[in-house]
Amino acid sequence: MADVMNVGVNLEAFSQAINAIQALRSSVTRVFDCLKDGMKNKRTLESREKAFIAEFQDNLHSVNRDLNELERLSHLVGKPSENHPLHNSGLLSLDPVQDKTPLYSQLLQAYKWSNKAASQQMVEEDVGTMGRRRRFRPEREVWRPEEPEPKSPAEGMDMAEMDTMIQLQYHAGLASGLLNQQSLKRSANQMGVSAKRRPKAQPTTLVLPPQYVDDVISRIDRMFPEMTIHLSRPNGSSAMLLVTLGKVLKVIVVMRSLFIDRTIVKGYNENIYTEDGKLDIWSKSNYQVFQKVTDHATTALLHYQLPQMPDVVVRSFMTWLRSYIRLFQAPCQRCGKFLQDGLPPTWRDFRTLEAFHDTCRQ
Amino acid sequence: MGVTCVSQIPVAEGKSVQQTVEMLTRKLELLGAEKQGTFCVDCETYHTATTTMGNPAQPGKLMYVMHSSEYPLSCFALFENGPCLITDTNFDVLMMKLKGFFQNAKANKIESRGTRYQFCDFLVKIGTVTMGPSARGISVEVEYCPCVVANDCWNLMMEFMQSFMGSHTPGIPSVFGSKHDSVYSPADTMIQYMELLNKIRKQQQVSSTGMR
Repeated sequence: MADVMNVGVNLEAFSQAINAIQALRSSVTRVFDCLKDGMKNKRTLESREKAFIAEFQDNLHSVNRDLNELERLSHLVGKPSENHPLHNSGLLSLDPVQDKTPLYSQLLQAYKWSNKAASQQMVEEDVGTMGRRRRFRPEREVWRPEEPEPKSPAEGMDMAEMDTMIQLQYHAGLASGLLNQQSLKRSANQMGVSAKRRPKAQPTTLVLPPQYVDDVISRIDRMFPEMTIHLSRPNGSSAMLLVTLGKVLKVIVVMRSLFIDRTIVKGYNENIYTEDGKLDIWSKSNYQVFQKVTDHATTALLHYQLPQMPDVVVRSFMTWLRSYIRLFQAPCQRCGKFLQDGLPPTWRDFRTLEAFHDTCRQ
Repeated sequence: MGVTCVSQIPVAEGKSVQQTVEMLTRKLELLGAEKQGTFCVDCETYHTATTTMGNPAQPGKLMYVMHSSEYPLSCFALFENGPCLITDTNFDVLMMKLKGFFQNAKANKIESRGTRYQFCDFLVKIGTVTMGPSARGISVEVEYCPCVVANDCWNLMMEFMQSFMGSHTPGIPSVFGSKHDSVYSPADTMIQYMELLNKIRKQQQVSSTGMR
């Protein structure tokens, strides 16, 4: 207990302060209740207003009184000791039963992960304009204690608090690295501070210049002779691709920058234009086989994801798509047949590009 | 318009044409095919008038004028082994005016009528071939709609036909051989029909002369 007293916390004042906070909260609630209820039904308008204003004033006075009380108590409570850099959490590390209950190491880990989650959330908010969740690789996210980002959770604190915060983060980074070395090799634990290993630039690929997109697409177009890609931009900067694969199928690919937003697969002989001559990106194919392939292509979009290198994603997707050149010729690699429920093998494995029926794949 | 294979199924022993058709349609329905109305393909034969030909010794060529309910606004005019002309239905009127050059062999009119079934992306048309008042045989047309290159999907079509035609599954149609990788067209279907109907007509003539 002596330790606690040294830290300078007056427990008596503390409990009083908590009571005062409760009182303040209830008086504030009363103010808003009064505002919500509005004027009570009285005989004349004047008396109504008078009663309302009197009640409102009473409530405000009580809020003021409770606030003053709380302020007075807060001086009595005293500040926690500042000689320990980690504040109260540091006391945990002094706990002799640490070996039995790994509370402290768990705390540090939890802190580190919550930090990471917060910084990732920020990144996701940045990317969030896509309206779709992108996958992130947590190992890329190394916390840099020396350079807190402007939007870090520490925003809005004064310098001293910021300082302890940074210290805490730094400590948590190092300590959890050391504590964690044998398990979960997810973070770059090399003391986490080498300036060369900055976190990679976060996806700025949403704002790629159209010229770059054109280049990537035309390079892919040249890669596959049996595939022709026609790029157009009917709706501003977003590109739309019309991919014709041999004499088998046509694919409409809606891009946003270099990310593929939507694909529709249709037959070679199907109409892909609307009545006014634009690419029809909404209606689905008349044939069940291409409806199925459309579903699989959408699955492939979610499978091939690499936010740092969107051009690789597009190339992988096109390579995968190209395997449909033998849509009607390849038997299922599992059952050896061509048809199942009237459909040819519509699934192509993402790695091996082998043909399977939808129900034959693992 | 997809790749189509037209073939004939022999009448089962001890059964009538009608009964064989019913057996076949029952198999299709068990497979899960859905009935989708009817269809009709007809074929009229025209002789070229020999007097107008340069060489009187040369026998007059036969021209076939065909209609299909699948292409209600078109008319197909074909020579055996020759070109196929796809025209508007007005062509029939034109042929009337060309009486001096082409004479209609009315007795040779032959047609196939029946039911149209859909199974997934397949269209199956089972028809009874009639010439005059009597039923002569059964035609089976199988179309795989999503594909446009005949040789790409032949194996797949054969597997499908085996599932309801069994041992009567036809071999690869001769028109497929000349197509290579080009796009399959409705004319190719009509050529197959012409060949099939001719075959049935000739069988008829042989059997009727044999009976005499």
